[in-house]
Amino acid sequence: MKVRPLLLQDIKFQYKYGFYFLYLVFSVFYITLLYALPVAWREKAAILMIFSDPAAMGLFFMGAIVLFEKGERVLDSIAVSPAKPYEYMLSKLVSIGVISTVVALVIGFSGGVIANHFYFIAGVFLCSCLFSSVGIILAAKITTLNQFILATIPAQLLINIPAIAYLFGWKPFPLLLHPGVCMIELCENGSNALFAIIILILWVVLVAILAEKAVAKMLRSVGGFKL
Amino acid sequence: MKPLLRSFGIFMYQITRDNMLWAVCIAPLLVAVFFRWGIPHLETLLCVHFQQQTVLSEYYLLFDLFLSLITPYLFCFAAAMVMLTEYDENITSYMAITPIGKKGYVLSRLLLPAVISFFASMLLMHFFTLTVWPLWVVTITCLLTSLLSVVIALLIFTFSHNRVEGMAVAKLSGLVMLGLPVPFFLSSGLQYLFSPLPSFWIAKFSVERDILFLLPAILFSLLWVRLLYRKFEQKLVQ
Repeated sequence: MKVRPLLLQDIKFQYKYGFYFLYLVFSVFYITLLYALPVAWREKAAILMIFSDPAAMGLFFMGAIVLFEKGERVLDSIAVSPAKPYEYMLSKLVSIGVISTVVALVIGFSGGVIANHFYFIAGVFLCSCLFSSVGIILAAKITTLNQFILATIPAQLLINIPAIAYLFGWKPFPLLLHPGVCMIELCENGSNALFAIIILILWVVLVAILAEKAVAKMLRSVGGFKL
Repeated sequence: MKPLLRSFGIFMYQITRDNMLWAVCIAPLLVAVFFRWGIPHLETLLCVHFQQQTVLSEYYLLFDLFLSLITPYLFCFAAAMVMLTEYDENITSYMAITPIGKKGYVLSRLLLPAVISFFASMLLMHFFTLTVWPLWVVTITCLLTSLLSVVIALLIFTFSHNRVEGMAVAKLSGLVMLGLPVPFFLSSGLQYLFSPLPSFWIAKFSVERDILFLLPAILFSLLWVRLLYRKFEQKLVQ
């Protein structure tokens, strides 16, 4: 298993390039904003903030991370190393998932919205893994940052709109098959949280498998030559 | 002039190839349509739901302000992303020693997009505002938001060493726009804590329609540009 060294390097990399500082600043900003809002709005606002930012950070940053690694020929080294594509992917998902979960916990505690710690942590972490996996799939195919930013728009709309509708009260049961909705259900500690966690795990596994295939394909073709 | 236009042509080609140009053109239009017709509709729904006279209508001017900023912001954001890619691929330093020069590079990557977006923003403001704007206020506001977008693009480029940091700074630079809602939500003297942000003065100018607020808006914008441009120049020759 090469996950541990890869994970440590990813965390080091993310620290060096300011992810931790960025989310420290944003956590302070979000908490200040939460306290500026009326108490009745706080729970929904906190969940919306967590869902749209720390949980979705993988989707936002993955393009830049993968493009940077392509440019610096890191992927060339990984391609010839004993590290497997799933280990590379797992390291990215976990390293970003850790930041997402810690930031979400800080915002959640400050906003007083955490009713069930297990469901909350599982919801944010799994949702972060889902967003990061989608980010990896898109990043594996693009060559510029602008392309990546554009490619993320449909993914964001597909994941965000049903989840936001669910958060604001449109709650038909079949919507629980949607991964974003599952995260909202888990963070709200809803009555269908157990069902939501199962569905979310299934989604994460499915998208992670697709991401692993995308990484394997990308690693086979680095350096402009298909192996 | 020819190298400058050629350099701008390369920039336009890059964002056209990425389809970013279409996004930069279409996204503000979609936002404008949503603001112009979606927001009043949402206001009706919210008023009925909360049984209030007004919910969003007090902030229509704020929506207009965001509308004036969105086109220059998107254009300059795309420019910053192109510059970051060029920097990562070591193209920037080569461009600076060609007939384009440092000045030409800046003009083609920052100033020309800002000028074009100023006119596009004026056009959007003419057709899609929720409140009544005199022409002179629209013109000055769009000029200031274009200048603010240049500040944001400079911020993204100068404070990042690569694309990953660029994305982090891009996210952080969104806070520069934080001044826009301040005059709408903070009426006490506390609002002046946001004075260093040009966006605060842009909002003050648009709310009060007082030429007095123009001076700090221009001064703070130019101060940001000056400070960032020094770092930008240093980075270009690195």
